Amino acid sequence: MTEQTNKNLLPRGVNSANFEQAITKFRTLLGEENVLIKDDQLIPYNKIMMAVDSAEHTPSAAITATTVEQVQGVVKICNEHKIPVWTISTGRNFGYGSAAPGQRGQVILDLKKMNKILHVDPELCTALVEPGVTYQQLYDYIQENKLPLMLSFSAPSAIAGPLGNTMDRGVGYTPYGEHFLMQCGMEVVLANGDVYRTGMGGVKGDNAWQVFKWGYGPTLDGMFTQANYGICTKMGFWLMPKPPVFKPFEIKFENDSDIAEIVEFIRPLRIAQVIPNSVVIAGVLWEASTCNTRRSDYTTEPGPTSDAILKQIQKDKNLGAWNVYAALYGTREQVDVNWNIVTGALKQLGKGRIVTQEEAGDTQPFKYRAQLMSGVPNLQEFGLYNWRGGGGSMWFAPVSQARGSECDKQQALAKKTLNKHGLDYVGEFIVGWRDMHHVIDVLYDRTNPEETKRANACFAELLDVFEKEGYAVYRVNTAFQERVAQSYGPVKRKLEHAIKRALDPNNILAPGKSGIDLANPF
Amino acid sequence: MNVERRVLLKGMALGSLVGVAMSNSGLAMANTVLGSQTRAALPTLALVSGEVAASAFLEGVTASPTARQIKVQRTDLSLDFILGLEKHLSSGQPQRIIGLVDDASAALIIDLARSAGARVQWLGQHRATANASQHHLLSAEAASGCAPQLGLQLNACGTGFSLREHRMGGQRAPLQLSAAARSSAGSEQWAVTLGYSLAALGTANIGQAPLIASRASPLTGNFVSFSIEA
Repeated sequence: MTEQTNKNLLPRGVNSANFEQAITKFRTLLGEENVLIKDDQLIPYNKIMMAVDSAEHTPSAAITATTVEQVQGVVKICNEHKIPVWTISTGRNFGYGSAAPGQRGQVILDLKKMNKILHVDPELCTALVEPGVTYQQLYDYIQENKLPLMLSFSAPSAIAGPLGNTMDRGVGYTPYGEHFLMQCGMEVVLANGDVYRTGMGGVKGDNAWQVFKWGYGPTLDGMFTQANYGICTKMGFWLMPKPPVFKPFEIKFENDSDIAEIVEFIRPLRIAQVIPNSVVIAGVLWEASTCNTRRSDYTTEPGPTSDAILKQIQKDKNLGAWNVYAALYGTREQVDVNWNIVTGALKQLGKGRIVTQEEAGDTQPFKYRAQLMSGVPNLQEFGLYNWRGGGGSMWFAPVSQARGSECDKQQALAKKTLNKHGLDYVGEFIVGWRDMHHVIDVLYDRTNPEETKRANACFAELLDVFEKEGYAVYRVNTAFQERVAQSYGPVKRKLEHAIKRALDPNNILAPGKSGIDLANPF
Repeated sequence: MNVERRVLLKGMALGSLVGVAMSNSGLAMANTVLGSQTRAALPTLALVSGEVAASAFLEGVTASPTARQIKVQRTDLSLDFILGLEKHLSSGQPQRIIGLVDDASAALIIDLARSAGARVQWLGQHRATANASQHHLLSAEAASGCAPQLGLQLNACGTGFSLREHRMGGQRAPLQLSAAARSSAGSEQWAVTLGYSLAALGTANIGQAPLIASRASPLTGNFVSFSIEA
């Protein structure tokens, strides 16, 4: 039996009759079972963690495609009926919008069923995958085929996927942790239905698509990331050869005020590639949450957790105020040389307590950090959601230069703003080659309407106060996309909208993504 | 602006509550069946995390008419559990999965359900203290009646609560119920009623969740409940 659509829930600017016609065409193209409009089919697409009403992000339908031809067919129907479509791959962008559409009523195009690992080359260390491939799937493939390769992924690892994470410019924790840097070749279905391949992908008979990024003429890969100019249906990327020796370690620092010195100590080692991976400097509450500590274990008082309690947690759980995680990779000789350099630099610094894998054993959070740094999936970091509870989580992720003074300033600013709104600073720094991603989980209780309102105000204020100091985030949840786009200035926005008009004049692909929407006055 | 179906129950006795309830379409449904479709009960897996395993939630589940079809499993954040559940959801066997779990487990479970193409009829977020509870619910037509049933029983036992139920897609205005605490007894009643209601969802026999006495250490904190059909 064909279900009726909900007349109260339509895409922006689309009337009920037009929507019904589009749904009928989707059913013909994709099959009845791949067009979801019933309320109980759509509820799992509507579990958001942002501090706004979930009704603002409710889809009118969700459709699943299994082939590139079907994706082409979907954009054709969307153009005919002016249906905005919000594409997801695995949809595990927790804290950045999850699987819900950016705007109420948008149709979700869920590519979870396009989940083929198309190619893995163990000699050139490359992979080509479809959008629905998860890191766990790829990990299993590598294990089953005994390939000497290592993955890099974000913390939701097992259930997230390389294509989606890279398209959103996510980061991981290995030497290949800057995922977009490791991307090589993509296939994109454009709004007019054309299938465009970047780099060498357009050359007939070519076999260098996954090894040479640039091809000829303008290189457009970056234009499709965090954007709404096309639907990525294949992506190539580089895999790290599995090193013969992997040596993870942690350095615990006792005081909050140590952060500036930590960064000054790490930066030269990182730029020189003595430490080749994306180093993490995790604060005490991040660490505590990921070793099964809950706020209610210590206090039920509302508001921010006091510094006295933070110190108590640090002591009880044997944590540092800051906890640095890094690893060395290579042959025994390489690792030994680099280990001497790291320990020598730490001796010179005169503070910090080093913990090796042998000393840490199976204790958390060391174990899951070591797994992330060696490409072994786990889900330990989901423990963050139990710190305060209530299902509210929004990542606030400003970037900065990798300088101690910047971290000091950012951490103080973030903590002051969060505490003002009764929330905790739960943050970590991820040290790139020369930059810092300061990643803060704004955790709050969505069952409490007053706290939800506060969390929303807090997030808005964080953006404001950081912007005043010359900082902006590199990625944000869908409720704040438009606000963040403003931080980057009107010229960038005009250009982005000019490209949108040229490539997608009917505004069908994810309107609103990164603030790009032809309904905007640009 | 939505006109909310607000029913303020502060200080009301059960008798007067029923009077109000019967004038309200949402509450009236509670007196029919839990769920608009009735059929034979499917094999059901009840997932519980940590302290929920020792709470009254499972008392409600086991008191339900479908108890014989229900297996109970504890959740955790290990890959073994998540990959096992993923396999279970994708087995192709008709089944239900209900549960009351922590927020971290819920984030994973609901998303696995989405990926497996399962239907989610009920998604509840709950916050409980020793003498009151808050319930933020998102439900589908198939779970109509569950939320009013929960509200009626919480009011009957006199614990303080607030409950807000949204229907997916906004086809109906949100249902809001609240009552001030009149008694400190039965502070875990929300959990037992929830367990009973979720277990009985979709069956013709609604019965009544058992009333429980107060416990020395009632279930407190934040939890997520769900009913999934694969």
